[in-house]
Amino acid sequence: MLQARSIAKAFGAFRAVDGADLDVTEGEIVGLIGPNGAGKSTFFNCLAGDATPTEGNIRFAGRDVTRATPEEHARLGMARSFQVPVTFEDMSVADNVMVGAFLRHPHRADARHAAAEVLAFTGLAPLAETAARSLGTPGRKRLEIARALATEPRLLLLDEALAGLTPAETRLAIELVRRISARGITIVIVEHVMEVILSLTERAVVFHQGKVIAQGAPRDVVEDPAVIAAYLGHHMKRVRR
Amino acid sequence: MKQWALVLIGFVLIAAWPLLTQDVFLQRIGALVLLAAISASAWNLLGGYAGQVSVGHAVYFGAGAYSSLVVYTELGWPPIAGAPLGVLVSCALALVVGTPTFRLRGHYFSMATIAAAELARIVAGNWKLVGAAVGLMGPPTPRTLADLSFISPVPYHYLFLAVLIVLLALTWQMQRSRMGYYLAAIRGGDRAARSLGVPILRYKLYALLLSASFTAIAGSLYAVMVGFIDPDSALGILISVKMVITAALGGAGTLFGPLVGAIILVPLEETTNAWFGGGGTGITFIVYGAIILLITRFQPGGMAVIWRHVMTRFERRSAAARSTDRAA
Amino acid sequence: MILLQVVVSGLLMGAVYALFSSGLTLIWGMMNVVNFAHGDFVMLAMYVAFFAYTLLHVGPVVFIPLAAVLLFALGVAVYFGLVRHMAKGPMLAQILGTFGLALVLRYAAFWAFTANFVSLPDNLVGGTFAIAGLRIEASRLLGGVLALVITIGMHLVLTRTMLGSRILAVAEDRNAAMLMGIRPDRMQALAWGVGAASTGVAGALIALFFYISPTVGESLALIAFVVVCLGGFGSVPGALLAGLSIGVIQALSAYLIGAVYQDVVVYSLFLLVLWVRPQGLLGTT
Repeated sequence: MLQARSIAKAFGAFRAVDGADLDVTEGEIVGLIGPNGAGKSTFFNCLAGDATPTEGNIRFAGRDVTRATPEEHARLGMARSFQVPVTFEDMSVADNVMVGAFLRHPHRADARHAAAEVLAFTGLAPLAETAARSLGTPGRKRLEIARALATEPRLLLLDEALAGLTPAETRLAIELVRRISARGITIVIVEHVMEVILSLTERAVVFHQGKVIAQGAPRDVVEDPAVIAAYLGHHMKRVRR
Repeated sequence: MKQWALVLIGFVLIAAWPLLTQDVFLQRIGALVLLAAISASAWNLLGGYAGQVSVGHAVYFGAGAYSSLVVYTELGWPPIAGAPLGVLVSCALALVVGTPTFRLRGHYFSMATIAAAELARIVAGNWKLVGAAVGLMGPPTPRTLADLSFISPVPYHYLFLAVLIVLLALTWQMQRSRMGYYLAAIRGGDRAARSLGVPILRYKLYALLLSASFTAIAGSLYAVMVGFIDPDSALGILISVKMVITAALGGAGTLFGPLVGAIILVPLEETTNAWFGGGGTGITFIVYGAIILLITRFQPGGMAVIWRHVMTRFERRSAAARSTDRAA
Repeated sequence: MILLQVVVSGLLMGAVYALFSSGLTLIWGMMNVVNFAHGDFVMLAMYVAFFAYTLLHVGPVVFIPLAAVLLFALGVAVYFGLVRHMAKGPMLAQILGTFGLALVLRYAAFWAFTANFVSLPDNLVGGTFAIAGLRIEASRLLGGVLALVITIGMHLVLTRTMLGSRILAVAEDRNAAMLMGIRPDRMQALAWGVGAASTGVAGALIALFFYISPTVGESLALIAFVVVCLGGFGSVPGALLAGLSIGVIQALSAYLIGAVYQDVVVYSLFLLVLWVRPQGLLGTT
C-alpha cells in the first residue's frame, strides 16, 4: 500500500535520512524505531508530506505522493498525528473532530454524525463539549488520533502517540490502536517505548544514522546484534564523553 | 434560549432608535453606529474568524467609496450604482494583494496590509480620475430617490440596518458551515489544519473575498451618506485601525462583537468630538489609542469574554438559587 | 555629477534610517514583537530636540544625548508597562498593543503641539561643505556620519561585549539563557531601552535638517519596517546595509520620478521583498 524508495533528506550537508526504503502492506501495524537522531522522525515527516525528500520517491496506493502537500495526503487517505499534540485549543473536543469529519462530509449534519461515531469509538464521547485546552496530555493525544480518524484514512501515521503516558494510559492507548487496526486501517507508528513496539507492532523497522539497519518481527529485531550495537553504541558514545 | 431573546430585544431597540429619539444628532449617531458595525463585521470575517489580522482594510473601503463617486462624477449615475463595481474592484485587489500575502505569517502579514493600503492612498492622492488630493463629491442635490441623498439620518439608519442584518445572517450561516469550522481550524493552527485536509490558502481567500466585498459595500454606503471622500477619509490608516479596534473591543471572531464595539465606540467618538471641538484636536484618537491599550493589556478577548464571564456567573448563581429553593 | 550628489545625500539619510531601524530590529529580534510605535518614538525625539533648543537653549551636543536618555527611559517603561504582558497574548493583542501606543503618542503630540510644522534653525549646525564638487549640508553630513558610527557601535557592543552576548542569548533561546543565570526580563527591557535610544539619537539628528510634525512617525515607521525586512530581522549589519540602500533608492526615486512617488517605490519594494524573500536579503529562513 505504501512504498518508499531510496528516501534521502538533506539539510545542507547533513543527511538526516540517507537512503531508506520502506514497504507497508495493507492492514499491517509497522513500527519505526531507532535511537534519537536516527532520522526516523524526518523520514516520518517525508511520508506524511510535511517534508519533501531531497531524493527518492514515495507511492501510496499506486500514486506518487513524493511531493504531495499535507492536504493532498489527507484527501488520498493518509492521516497523521503530531508528536506534540496540536489540538485546536479554543474549540471543543467535538468540534476538533468535526474539522476532520468535514473532509469527507461537506454538510454539517453528516459531519456531526460521523464525528459522533468517532468520538464514541475513541471513548471521547463524555468529553465532547469540553474545550480542548482543558484536556491533559493523554486526552490530547487521544483527540489527535480521533481527529485524524475522522478523515476516514486508509493509512494512519502515529508520531510517538504513546509517549509520555503512564503504564495504565499506555495500555488503554494500545487497545485503541488495536481497535483501529481491526477496522482495517494500516498503521505506521514511530515509537520509543519498547513495550508498545513489542506488544503492538507486527513488524519493526530500525533506523540508524538515516538508514534502515534491520527489520522484522519485533522480538527478533530487538535481539539483532546490529540493532543492539546501534542503541548501545549511541549510549556508549554518550558515556565516553 | 435566553440569549436569543436578548439578541432579539437588542435588535428591536436598535430598529426603534430613530423613533425613540427625535434628536437629529442622536439619530445620526445611530446610523453611524450601524455603518461602523458593517465595516467592523466585514473585517471580522478575515481578522476575527480566519485570524488574519489585516490593518489595511481601508483599501477595500476606499475601493467601494471611490467606485461609487467615480460612477457619479464620470457617468452621472446614482452613487449606489457604483457599489457592485466597488465590490468587483475590491475582490480584484484582494486577489492581487491577498494571494502572495497569505504566505506570510503574523506580523509580516499585517505589515504587508499596511503597506498595500498606504500605497493605495498615495496613488489615489495623485490620480486625477479619483480627484487626486482634493477628492470627489456626490450629488449636491438629490436628483431622484436612487441618489439616496437624504437630509434626515433616519432612512440611512434603516438602510444600514438591513445591510447589517444580511451580513450578520451570512456570517452566522458561515460560522456553522464547513467554512466556519475550517477557518477556526486555520486560526487554531495552520499545520494541524493542513494535516486534516483543510485547503488553507483557498479558505483564507474565501474569507478575504467575503470580507473585502462587504467592506467595499460599507465604503459605498459611507460615500452615499457623507457625500464627500478624499484619500484620507476613505483610504487613511485610521479607517483600517478603527475597523480593527471596533471588532476587537466587542470581541473579534464573535458574531455580535463588532456591533457591540460600534455601539461603544461611535457614540464615544462623536461625543468627544462634540465636546472638544471636532476631530481636529486629536483627542478622539488619544481615546481610541487608550482603549486599545486597555483591551490589549487586560482583556484581549474583548467584551465577548467579559460577557461570557458575566453570563456564567449569572447562570451559576441562578442554578445555586434554584437548588436552595428546592432544598428549602 | 548631480547623480552622485543624489546618491551621497541618499547614503547620508540612509545611515539615519539604519540607526533607528537597528533599534527596531533589535526589539523585533528579541521577542518577535513588532513595534508599530517606532516611528512615533523618532517623532518624540525630534520634539525633544526642538524644545531643548527653544526652551533650554542648548545645542545638539546636549540634546542628542538627552533625547537618547529620555527615549531609553520610554522604551524601558513601555516594556514593563505593556509589552511584557502583550507577548503572552494572542496575535491580535500583540499587533494592537503597539498600535494603540502609536496612536496615543501621535495624537497626544498632535493635541499638544498642533499639526503645524516646526523646525530648528538652519544655522544650528551651520554651513555647507563643498567636497569634490559636491555640496553637502553640514547638518546632514553630521547626521549621516554620527548615525553610521553609532550603528556600527551598536553592532560591536552586541557581538563583542559580555552584555551584548547576554542580550543575544535571550533573543536566541530565552529558557536556555535563564538556565545560565541571565535574567531575560532585564535583557529584554534593556533591548527595548537601547532600541528606543537609537530612535532618540536618530530623531535628534533628523531634527537638525528636517521639519518636525506629529505625523512624521507614520512614514518613518514604514521605512523602518522596510529596512528591517530587507535586512533580516534581528540583524544590525543587515539593517545598516538595508538602511543605506533604502536611503539611496528613495533619493534616486525622488530625483528620477518625483518626490511624491518616492514612498511608492519604497513601499512597492517592501511588498516585493516580503513576497519574494520574507526572511530578508541577509536573513536566514
